[in-house]
Amino acid sequence: MKPLHLALVIAATLIGGAVMLSLNRPGVGNDVPVDNVRIEGGQQIIDITAKGGYTPRTTTAKAGIPTIIRFHTAGTFDCSTAVRIPSMGVSARLPSTGTKDIVITNPQPGPLQGMCGMGMYPFQVNFQN
Amino acid sequence: MEHREQETHTFHVRGMHCQACVLLTESELQEVASVSRATSSLATRTVEVCGDFGDRTPEEVARELSRVLTKHGYELSVEKLEHRKNWSDFAVAVPVALGFALLFVLLQKLGIVNLVNASDVSYGTAFFIGVVASLSTCMAVVGGLVLSMSATFAREGDKVRPQILFHVGRIVSFFILGGVIGALGAAFTLGTAGTFILGLLIGIVMLILGINLLDVFPSFKRFQPAMPRFLARHALGVSELNHWLTPLLVGVATFFLPCGFTQAMQLYSLTTGSFLAGGFTMLAFALGTLPVLALIGFSSFSIRNSAKAGIFFKSAGLIVILFALFNIINSLVVIGLISPMFNF
Repeated sequence: MKPLHLALVIAATLIGGAVMLSLNRPGVGNDVPVDNVRIEGGQQIIDITAKGGYTPRTTTAKAGIPTIIRFHTAGTFDCSTAVRIPSMGVSARLPSTGTKDIVITNPQPGPLQGMCGMGMYPFQVNFQN
Repeated sequence: MEHREQETHTFHVRGMHCQACVLLTESELQEVASVSRATSSLATRTVEVCGDFGDRTPEEVARELSRVLTKHGYELSVEKLEHRKNWSDFAVAVPVALGFALLFVLLQKLGIVNLVNASDVSYGTAFFIGVVASLSTCMAVVGGLVLSMSATFAREGDKVRPQILFHVGRIVSFFILGGVIGALGAAFTLGTAGTFILGLLIGIVMLILGINLLDVFPSFKRFQPAMPRFLARHALGVSELNHWLTPLLVGVATFFLPCGFTQAMQLYSLTTGSFLAGGFTMLAFALGTLPVLALIGFSSFSIRNSAKAGIFFKSAGLIVILFALFNIINSLVVIGLISPMFNF
């Protein structure tokens, strides 16, 4: 049963390696609160950086004021350039470098879930009263 | 003693798994002089052969008729061959598949996509973006498709040609369609509904192919996507067309698959405003994805007859199933039916 043992050792190494790496990188989840919401002339602007996922991944913002989610890209070619917000029917393409605004005229209280075009990079904006 | 009367034998056919096999075995057996009629059945995996076989025993007839079929990978026998499931293969296949899946997740978690750091796209960067794309989550879609297709064809004994056709279809279509996008200044986008349907469809096809590769549910084989019998019958050389057209068209279809990198490159090609610039950008990108994709597909080379074949096909099947589930779940997430489950 040599191949079996070898395969088990390889699998164990990989699992161990994955655990080690995730322990050493606590910032992977990047859920550190970032000051990315500001109000300019009665309009709420939420800045989100799109590259290999969305940063910050969770944002808390005010409900009921006209809001712009502004996506920033710099040399982004991955899935995050395809922004999808199912509940709003949004499917937007971001330029590989630049910004793109998504306008929400009257955000309702509650979470707004978005993700990239393939679904593996999520982001969320929690609108609160 | 004269043997002018016709005898009928029923043989079990090993290796019969698709509608095309029915036609192939029938047409090959009817070529044999002593056979007057051959009727194959996929349901029972048998062939009923009617002909004048002289004094030979059924075993001898089976051996003789097998000779014309071995080149296609079939074997006739009088006794039903036990379908060996080889559960022990899973002892190796499961860790291999899990290891592969972990490696895949690890690559994403380490932020392989952040290796791309360019503001303008030269053909060199397009090539590099292609390399990164082939290691990114796009591997779940395109790589999964390549693995399921090449392993399925390899099991039918057709290793090299389907893969070459796939890559030819992919590379040529990327150049032409990239050029068209550049010249027209408009991208072919499928829209959210179109992408969802395509993504879900590919996920389901991969799931079926993956389960078939495991080779534990023989009754599941009839769901194998294949050409309808009436089409196959009219096709040149029975299953030839299926083996030519399928990989070629799948290669072309990868242009439209939900892969963020492909879409971003298409968006860039659109801005070039010329056929050649758009075409060469997409060509460079497709060539960048080639090494990894080729490696995935060529893993099924020369594996068919080796002792490790069972392990390979089961590992490939498990990986394809994992990718298929990943794609199906993501399709449902993007359409808004379920909340995101993966967080790379």
